[in-house]
Amino acid sequence: MSEVVLKMQGIIKDFPGVRALNNVNFEARSGELLALMGENGAGKSTLMKVLSGVWPYPTYEGDIYLRGEKVRFANTKEAEAAGIGIIYQELNLIPGLSVAENIFLDRQFTDAKGRINWNQTFAETQKLLTELGINDIRPTDLVQNITVGKQQMVEIAKALSLKAEILVLDEPTSALTDKEVKDLFRIIRKLKADGVCMCYISHKMEEIEQIADRIAVLRDGQTIGEVTPIADITLDQIIARMVGRDIKDMFPKVDFTPGEVTLEVNNLSVTNPDLPGGYMVKNAGFVARKGEILGISGLMGAGRTELVGGVFGAYPDQTTGEVKLNGQKLDIKSPKDAIDAGIALLTEDRKALGLFLDKSISFNTTISSLETISSRVLGIINTQQERKVVKEYVDQLGVKTPSIDTVIGTLSGGNQQKVILGKWLNSRPDVFILDEPTRGIDIGAKVEIYKLLNELVQQGVTVIMISSELPEVLGMCDRILVMCEGEIVSNFERDDAKKEAIMAYATGSA
Amino acid sequence: MSADSNVAGVGVGGAKENHLINFIKDNATLIALIVLVIGLSFADDAFFTARNLSNLSRQVTIIGIIAVGMTMVILIAGIDLSVGSVVGLSAVVCTLMMQYGVPTVLAVPATLLVVGVGIGAWNGFWIAKFNIPPFIITLGMLTIARGLALTLTNGSSVPVTSDVFPLIGGAYIPPMMSSIVLIVCAALAVFSIFRDVQQSKAHGVEVNMQELLVNGAVMIGGFALAFHVFTSYKGIPVPVAIFAVIAFAGIYTLNSTRFGRRLYALGGNEDAARLSGINVVRTKMIVYTVISVLSALAGIILASRLNGASPNLGTMFELDAIAAVVIGGTSLAGGSGKVSGTIIGALLIGVLNNGMSLLGVVTFYQLIIKGLIIILAVWFDVMQKKK
Ligand SMILES: Nc1ncnc2c1ncn2[C@@H]1O[C@H](COP(=O)(O)OP(=O)(O)OP(=O)(O)O)[C@@H](O)[C@H]1O
Ligand SMILES: [Mg+2]
Repeated sequence: MSEVVLKMQGIIKDFPGVRALNNVNFEARSGELLALMGENGAGKSTLMKVLSGVWPYPTYEGDIYLRGEKVRFANTKEAEAAGIGIIYQELNLIPGLSVAENIFLDRQFTDAKGRINWNQTFAETQKLLTELGINDIRPTDLVQNITVGKQQMVEIAKALSLKAEILVLDEPTSALTDKEVKDLFRIIRKLKADGVCMCYISHKMEEIEQIADRIAVLRDGQTIGEVTPIADITLDQIIARMVGRDIKDMFPKVDFTPGEVTLEVNNLSVTNPDLPGGYMVKNAGFVARKGEILGISGLMGAGRTELVGGVFGAYPDQTTGEVKLNGQKLDIKSPKDAIDAGIALLTEDRKALGLFLDKSISFNTTISSLETISSRVLGIINTQQERKVVKEYVDQLGVKTPSIDTVIGTLSGGNQQKVILGKWLNSRPDVFILDEPTRGIDIGAKVEIYKLLNELVQQGVTVIMISSELPEVLGMCDRILVMCEGEIVSNFERDDAKKEAIMAYATGSA
Repeated sequence: MSADSNVAGVGVGGAKENHLINFIKDNATLIALIVLVIGLSFADDAFFTARNLSNLSRQVTIIGIIAVGMTMVILIAGIDLSVGSVVGLSAVVCTLMMQYGVPTVLAVPATLLVVGVGIGAWNGFWIAKFNIPPFIITLGMLTIARGLALTLTNGSSVPVTSDVFPLIGGAYIPPMMSSIVLIVCAALAVFSIFRDVQQSKAHGVEVNMQELLVNGAVMIGGFALAFHVFTSYKGIPVPVAIFAVIAFAGIYTLNSTRFGRRLYALGGNEDAARLSGINVVRTKMIVYTVISVLSALAGIILASRLNGASPNLGTMFELDAIAAVVIGGTSLAGGSGKVSGTIIGALLIGVLNNGMSLLGVVTFYQLIIKGLIIILAVWFDVMQKKK
């Protein structure tokens, strides 16, 4: 058996009001991929930040051993020098710089006079990329011009250029297309063969099954059970360790007869601002019914986000077409118009489009429905009422937080998502559009969200859900639209929907 | 889901020794102000007299009124460089109107409307509707408004002919009335604090004792000082009363109204704000209009106090107003800040100006010192953010 390169012992990490890590013990070996699993807020990202020096030594308790030697990092540089590379949940590249500049940021090759030797910088970058078998990125490409998936590869190349022996990947696939995920896995397998030890955080079970060697589970800041080889544990057992109970039904779909048509979209087109004459959505038309969950499937970049954004009035200058709600034509010029009409949109890009990061949970929950907690005339906010409303949602959605005044940016990704869900529920929509609502959400919470969608449907809300996860679409939706290259190419009833058929339409090969 | 299972074990070690440092950090501007006042009182006998402090308070109001508006503008990550020129233009327009026989009661609101709302709506229109950077639009307006003021007056000053007009900037609320007003306000303030604490307790919200004590002490100290100064010297100056009302309205708006919330949201993340249903265009228009109206009001008060208007009035006021906001802890990046901080910032600048003049510091040095203090304040803010 290969050598234990990393051992973390008795790690304790406190934040004001929260003990994020409470005596974590685990070890990882060279050449293996260790999956780190756990619910939102279990402490996975925090543990990795302790490892990589983001949280330097005296801010945590416990010991870290690298190849049996005790280490205490004062900052990320020291951790880097010791061979620890980390790819954060949020990418950390500089968009306006080239791939090569990003990889060798701060340590470019220079000549005696201190001038940058660009040829060598580019050549070294090319060498790294070739080593990783990445042949569709050039060292001179600007990071802002390449896809998120490729940016991920650049991060990996960067970590390897630092001679990382331990590579941490925190939810690396959450924004990748299927093909990009395949590429990433190919590289991961190669790294394994080269003896790199990888700690891999993900909420996606299929991925874990495919590439993990062993698995460690965190719950409420504690390691649950031993580090276990993937072959010795079933999916259900992993889930039970994560959430502390069994989840019987992953997709608790309730049968419910949809009512009359509520939302009707005709001939909706969204032009592409970067490409004159180009369209992101072309002549899309569909209906959604009261009390149904309508799924929108498709590959990343198929125009799903733009379609619902167009309906929601997110880009009024680029959108043409007709939107009707309950038979009435709507004139939506802005998200405000859409919200006033009873439409809500939970956006895909949480950080950039959904959150007020340095504001409290409370602020984030009520911002889109301030009218309901304030006086009509002067708009004076009733703080007590606000607290009551926010508390209800925090409890109902199980947001893990010390208080509703906690700054939302300090919550784990999944808990942030729950707060945003609460925000839109609070606007009491008739049509609730959710763009990738379960991205980055743990299994237990996913099921909670599905149950919530069921409840909404039973209350007569029209739910539209965009999702890249086919099992979820197949498991929860009454009807499924498939988009490909900006057009709606197919419409499946629940009973006729098959994975292969949907994929065929989504990839344009049907 | 167990909502609070990992919340229980809170163990924050070594918090005690940080208490003092945190306290100083949280209240740095206030402490600086108090230290400065005490220092000046010792350095010059003329400083801590009712007469000087009363005059000082009157001087602070002009920048203070503009700075309340500037807080809102900076809060939404904007800037308004035209405020100084608006001061000049409104002073000129108002006095000219009176010269042409328009009575004061009409001239003042007409100026607020034409100059204040007019320029503000113009600025806001370009900034909000066409996304032109506020720096550029208001920089343009800085010269346009100044140019208009010079054109209207042909470059010379306009005297005030009305008897009523000088009262706006020069009159006092009689001492007797002043004491009643102050006592009523103090009582209301104490009452509202008590009610807040009570309500928080009733809802199980933790009360921040330190913040409460500081607020209480500042309020009591402030009222006591105001009482002493204004009852022993002529009473509350009318412009100070106007400023107090505006400052209170500003604090209340940002703290407790929908509109205030939206400003914080807009400054924090404009895209998210728009997608949350905030009418970004309208909100920005209102903010830029508010600051212009406040600047126009400041111009009227200034013209009234000086008993005349020069077209060059208000030159460089934008810098003092921005400085007050920044010293008061509002972030230039938008999304965070408070009017109460701005008031302290404005007081600090006012006391500094007043003290340096009393001590006979050469004007040139005064400028240098003021600049250094602004840099220091911003540096402090940045350092604070880093940790
Ligand atoms: N900078 C911080 N300040 C305060 N609390 C924090 C901070 N970072 C994390 N926490 C808290 O620590 C706990 C663990 O968070 P962490 O981000 O490690 O969770 P996670 O397991 O990565 O979750 P997810 O799957 O949602 O990403 C959470 O309760 C979170 O609110
Ligand atoms: Mg995480």
